[in-house]
Parts: sequence; structure tokens; C-alpha cells
Amino acid sequence: MIKNNRDSFSKTEYLLFAVVAVAVFLLCISVGSVNIPLRETLSVILRAVFNMPAEESLSDSVILFVRLPRVICVALEGASLALCGAAMQGLLQNPLADGTTIGVSSGAALGAVLAIAIGANTSILSGISTVAMAMTFAFLSLILILTLAYKLDFSLSTYTIILMGVIFSMFSNSIVSFITTFAGEKVKTIVFWTMGSMAGSSYGNALLLFGALLLFGTVILAHARELNAFAIGENNARHIGVNVKRVKFMILIAVAGLIGVSVSVAGTIGFVGLVIPHITRMLVGPNHKKLLPAALFLGAIFLMLADLISRVALSPLELPIGVITSFVGSIVFVYIFYFKRKGR
Amino acid sequence: MRNFLKRNSILALILASAFMFSGCANGDGPPVESANGIEITDMAGQTIILEKPADRIVALTASDCEILYALDAGDTLVGRGEYCDYPEQILEVKPVKSGSDTNVEQIIALQPQLVIMGNMDQTQQQIDAIKSAGIQVLITDPQKIEDIYVAIEIIGKAVGKNDEARKLIEEMRSTFDQIKPIDGDGGRKTVYFEVSPLEYGLWVAGANTFMDEIAEMTGLENAFSDVSGWGQVSQEQVFERDPDYIVAVPMSYASELDYKQELVNREGWQNLKAVKNDAIYITDSDAITRPGPRIAKAAKDFYSFVYGKQPEQ
Repeated sequence: MIKNNRDSFSKTEYLLFAVVAVAVFLLCISVGSVNIPLRETLSVILRAVFNMPAEESLSDSVILFVRLPRVICVALEGASLALCGAAMQGLLQNPLADGTTIGVSSGAALGAVLAIAIGANTSILSGISTVAMAMTFAFLSLILILTLAYKLDFSLSTYTIILMGVIFSMFSNSIVSFITTFAGEKVKTIVFWTMGSMAGSSYGNALLLFGALLLFGTVILAHARELNAFAIGENNARHIGVNVKRVKFMILIAVAGLIGVSVSVAGTIGFVGLVIPHITRMLVGPNHKKLLPAALFLGAIFLMLADLISRVALSPLELPIGVITSFVGSIVFVYIFYFKRKGR
Repeated sequence: MRNFLKRNSILALILASAFMFSGCANGDGPPVESANGIEITDMAGQTIILEKPADRIVALTASDCEILYALDAGDTLVGRGEYCDYPEQILEVKPVKSGSDTNVEQIIALQPQLVIMGNMDQTQQQIDAIKSAGIQVLITDPQKIEDIYVAIEIIGKAVGKNDEARKLIEEMRSTFDQIKPIDGDGGRKTVYFEVSPLEYGLWVAGANTFMDEIAEMTGLENAFSDVSGWGQVSQEQVFERDPDYIVAVPMSYASELDYKQELVNREGWQNLKAVKNDAIYITDSDAITRPGPRIAKAAKDFYSFVYGKQPEQ
């Protein structure tokens, strides 16, 4: 029992994180730039849960059509980014790695920019074409990066992956800059989008994110044991019987898929994937069996709170979410880091 | 979106420009043609002297280009800012980088006598560099519709089209004079100006914008008059304020029809008064946001949309 407790996420811990996450979720649903009393909020949610017809009231519109889909998307987005970050830091044994390190997010951004620049204007506003193009490009980037890395370095060493990712990011960014230079004003708007926006979140987006998290997240979580072995060293992992290359492939594909979908829906939201895994590690230790699920919850909690601040701080104005994540994230990080050190 | 930022930074410096306007009073007087040539005080309060009406001009701002064409002086343009795209024949003029990308070398290479630019477009160093090449710099900076007349007047002076400028100003004034509130039942109705679609975050035009001024003139209240300039707002605020009218400018995101389709199909927007009453107006963003001659017609069209008829003479 004790051993089990130290090894993996215990039921109590799951419950604790889940309760906090649900509490934050409810908080984010009930607070916003429009003031709706808590009782009203609960009755709207209950009515929706029991499938009663929505009323045409302000609180119904705000909660069911704006806050609920948005907070769900934000939570899933945060969870995905943090999980990817934790997995990449473990896999590459590099504290500066996160989901964007493999370069897939730059590829996704390139797809989105292309969608607008080509003038697929007719369907862009439906939100399908930008998202679809971003996802296609994320997938294509993944294939390209892995094939190249594989050709260059059969063993898929950590450095090869990092270098390929960095170089591919630069490559796609240069193409994005090139397109922006020629396509004039309209593409410049997409630059804002790539910096992250949760404003247009819909239930469709939430479903997409949920599907991706369910599929790729499970793959990542299932490799917690192997990630632990990697943490001690790649050779060590090989010696204790881990199929290093296969595991690397699986995790890279899962991370790329999850990041691709996340970026397609909300743009690149910085800092979550980098900082949350570190904060989680400080709280629950480096064991991936604990780290990964804890990062999942903490990422969701953190991004929900960041989004809440971005919605209400300057109401009726809205702040870009990336500003909050970077600002709050770095302060929280230093704070925790400092006290952990002191405690030792 | 660059424009949004520019507008914001302009507004941030509104104090400074208000101060500068004191120098614009000269603009109302008759053109001064001294022995030295044409003397013009621009909207940044600087005085420039041209020997003769300029016939080689580079204009960086779209509205200034539109003014030149409206004064029948489009043929004086030897270079245009890259976003100057109206009227269509301007596309034949050589484009140059503008705004934060302004390339002084590019401008000097065109050997103009005069460069017309907006107040926030360039750094002082760039302006000095242009001047040191012997090129005059004329700055326009309209913040309100009234200021557009000043811009037209000084540009008219610079190209020796004083009569045309006077005529254009008169035309615009008479159009704007027709636009008056009609007293209806109930209180003042509200209008919501959307300048960026939901997908990229909802940006609205608040106070101190041309759209706000046009709404005011028409007798409507801007639903986001508490926002200064252009700003990104929360979607739920739109629901709460439930405007009587929705005016959206598609920029270049989509055709007008697609934009409307997207707007009315957003989750929850069907409950808005304006969507139920089909009081949605999708209009040309450039005409209503640029401080140029087309803004008069844009205001007239807006009036027709609100009251369902042309303004009376």
C-alpha cells in the first residue's frame, strides 16, 4: 500500500486534484465580465444537465454559449499542453523542452497562415478551414520531422530530435514571415491568432480537444514507466529492456498529435507546457507515474485561472491569454523554486 | 489588426496631438502664396514651403491617397504606401513600405518633392532622413471628422487644387449636415461595431473612433462607448448589452454575405435583439474607418440602414 502510494498517483491524490479542478471549473463558469448570481448560474447548469429547454435569458446565453464551451476548451487545452510538456521534458531529458520543441506547432501555425493567405476566404469564418489546415500541416510536419530525423540518425538520439525541431520551427517561421510580407494586411491578423486566443471556443472545439486528449493522452500516460527509465539515462532504459526507439516514436507521435490539435484550436499559448511540468515536479516529485496525471490536472487548473484573469481583469476589455500565462507562470515558478530550495 | 494598434497608439497620444492642433488654425485661412511659394502648416504644426504645387508625391496613408484622387491629383503620385488600395488605378503606382516598416531609401529613390504621411507612421529619425534629402514632409492626423477637412485643405494646397479642395469639403459637409437623429419611440438605441470576427477575438470600435462619431450623429449610442478606441471585448459583454443594431466590417476576412452568415450562426447569437430583427449591417471597412472622402457616403449609407431611408435634404 505504502509502496503503491509512492509509485503512482493514489486514489486520494486523484480525488484531491479532481476536486480542486472541479472547484476552479465552477468558479470560472460563475465569474465573468457579466455579473450573474451564483444561484442563477447553478440553475442554468442544472437545467442544461437535465436537458430542459434553455431559456432566452441573458444568463442562459452567457453561461451556455460563452463560458461553458470556453472554460471546457481552456481546461482541455491546459491539460494537453502541460501533459505534452512533461512528456517531452522526460523524453529528451531537457528541462527547457515542451510540446513545441518538436516544431509541430510552428507547422500548424504555417497551415493556418496559408489557409488565410491562399484566400480560402469563403469558409474561413466557419472556423473549419483554418483549423483543418493547421491540423493537416501539424501532421505533415510530424511526418517530415520524424522521417528526416530517422534518415539522419537511425537511433533517433535526443539531440537529433531537438535540432530537427528547432530547425523545422525556424523553417516554418521563415515561410510564415515570407507570406506575411506579401499577403498584406489581412494575414497580419493571423499573427495575433497564432499567439493564442480562446475567444471563439465552441462545443465543437471542445469535442475535438477532448478526443485528442483521450487518444494521445492515454498513449502518453501509458508510457510513464518508460519515461522514468529514460530519466535515468537512455542506456539504462535500453539495458532494462525498454525498446527505446519504439517508445520515442510513440511518445513523439502522441505529443505531436496533441499539440497539433491544441495549436489548431487556440493558437500557441506560451509557457504552460514549459512551466507547469516543473511546478508539478516540485509538488509531487519526478516520478512520471505521478507527474503526468498531476500535470494534466495542474495544467487545466492553471490555464482556467489564467483565462479567468484575462476575461475579468480589464472588463469589458479582454487581455490576450498569453500575457497572463507568461506573467503569472514565471512568478509562480520562481516562488515555488525559491521555497523548495530553502526547505532543503 | 495593425491599424487597430496604430489607432490605439494614436489615441494614447491624443493629448499631444490636441496640443498640436492649435497650430492647425492656420489651415482655415486663405492659401498663402508668398513670393517664396506656397506656405502650408501641417497637422503636426510644422510649416513647410513649396516653391510650386508638388507634382511628384509619395503618400503613405490610404486616406491621403484617396484625398489626392478625389482632388483629381492622383497623377502626382509617384509612390504609395503598400496598403493604399483605393481607387483601383492607384495599384499602378509603385508601392513603398509604410508604418513601422517604412523604408526611407525606397522613398528617396522615387525622388518626390513631397511625402505625405500620418502622424504615427514613422520615427522622427526617418522623417529627418527624408528631409535631409531635400524632400518636404507633410503630416496629416485626423482624429475626428472635422479634422478630415483640414487634411483635405492642406493636401489641396500642396498640389495647387484649392478650389477642388473647397468643393470637396463643401460636398462632404452638406452630406454630414443631412445626417441628423430622427426622434423615435423609446430611448436612444444602441449600436455595436465589430471590427474583427469572433474567431480572432472580438474587437470593437469604441469611443473616439469615426464609427462612434457617425453613430452619435445618427442619434444612436455606441454600445461600447466605455471602450476607448479599438479594443478586444468579452463575448458575454455583447450578450449583456444586447445592442439594437450590429454593424460589422469584414476587413478582408470574408465576403459580406459569408460574414453575416457566420455572425448569425454563432452559438447563442440568435437570442440577440439585432439578430432577431435582422438589424445587421455588414459594410466596407475601408470607407468607414479611413479618414478620407468616402466616409461621407459611408455615413449616409449607415443612416439609410438605421432609418430605412435616405437622409432628407
